Amino acid sequence: MAKIEPVVYGDRKVYTVSAFNRGVARFLGRLPTLWVEGEIQELRRNAAWANVFLTLKDPKTGATLKVTIARTTFDRLELGLAEGETVHVSGRAELYELKGELGLRASTLERVGVGGHLVALERLKRELAAEGLFASERKRRLPQVPRAVGILTGADTAARGDFIATIGRRFPATKAIVCETRVQGRGAPDAIVAGLRALATHPEVDVVVLTRGGGSFEDLLPFSAESVVRAVATCPVPVVSAVGHEQDTPLCDLAADARAATPTAAAALVVPDEHELRMALETCWQRLGVSVRTLLERDATGLARQGERLRAAPRLVFERRRAALDHAGARLQALSPLATLARGYAIVRAGGEAVRAAEAVTTGDRLEIEFAAGALGARVEEVRP
Amino acid sequence: MIEERTFEELQKELQEIVQRLERGDVAVDDAIALFRRGEELYRACVERLHAAELRIEELGSPESPRT
Repeated sequence: MAKIEPVVYGDRKVYTVSAFNRGVARFLGRLPTLWVEGEIQELRRNAAWANVFLTLKDPKTGATLKVTIARTTFDRLELGLAEGETVHVSGRAELYELKGELGLRASTLERVGVGGHLVALERLKRELAAEGLFASERKRRLPQVPRAVGILTGADTAARGDFIATIGRRFPATKAIVCETRVQGRGAPDAIVAGLRALATHPEVDVVVLTRGGGSFEDLLPFSAESVVRAVATCPVPVVSAVGHEQDTPLCDLAADARAATPTAAAALVVPDEHELRMALETCWQRLGVSVRTLLERDATGLARQGERLRAAPRLVFERRRAALDHAGARLQALSPLATLARGYAIVRAGGEAVRAAEAVTTGDRLEIEFAAGALGARVEEVRP
Repeated sequence: MIEERTFEELQKELQEIVQRLERGDVAVDDAIALFRRGEELYRACVERLHAAELRIEELGSPESPRT
């Protein structure tokens, strides 16, 4: 390390600006690594830069501090920080020699408190919702009877046990493919995404269930990680999310095709009740028998009726003709004078001619009166023209 | 052909056959053919339910390399 030498002007020692800065920088370098809490006032990250620059603010006094952190370190943390969030930064005091600016060289930083996470979560939720990842029209119907059920679970024996016991009870013919993976802490999102992919590409898996028992807000955070939410939304088979307790809503719940409050409820969603299924099948079987019998019987009676009609046909033709004949006969009857006589009229003849007026005859003439039945011989006693 | 299809598909076809027969607009020969098919589907469904006990297969944990 180069010694910092002043220039001597008589009894005065004078340092150059850079020597002064370097000297102070060295002095600061002896300070220990410590944690600093502040609110992010400014965050500048550029993929072309080696460092990420932050300005931290003390929310009480407004005092500010410049922080630098290596971009690769910052990116690996995957915090998705935004301005306004509160962080804890671990680092040492540092002087930027060229400008004589004091700063904090950070080795790591953490978001502070649930509040910060909530802000980030809300932002991610809004972004993914705007992309349509949670849209109800994206939701797929779960298979009624999956060939195999994929289960992604942590080392949580209770959740896993509940789930398996329930599918075993409801539908013993199920095949369950279990993928146990890391579900909390750093690296959990990647592990969950990989597990999900492995299950979904299994040739028999028709539905995947994410199970995880309850946990703290932070414990459940991996199920809200963007990579996990996207993997759930784009999973080739339907996904059921049974993460945490009823009151928790990790973002994967919103992206999943169905959501269950407990592992037991999830099991009820992914496999049918065998007993109910059997009943439905038996009903179907009975209806099949009844319907085909009804159909055949109906056909038999239909046939019998056809035969009857066929046999009746010639007689029918004959009857129809006779009816027509009867009708013609009746009309003929009506026109016949005999029919008139039948109604009480009589024909009066004199000398073989029908008498149409009283003056056609004279007193003493002989008349022939013909009735419908029989005739009379008569003489005229009086003429009244 | 039945083996390749899901339980759901088989059950659906069975229900459709029952509904067609119940509607009644089917010729006798067709009715018998439909009944046979229905019987076949019913047996296939029942057989699926008879399959073995719950089988559990562990997949291990495939951790992907960080990108």
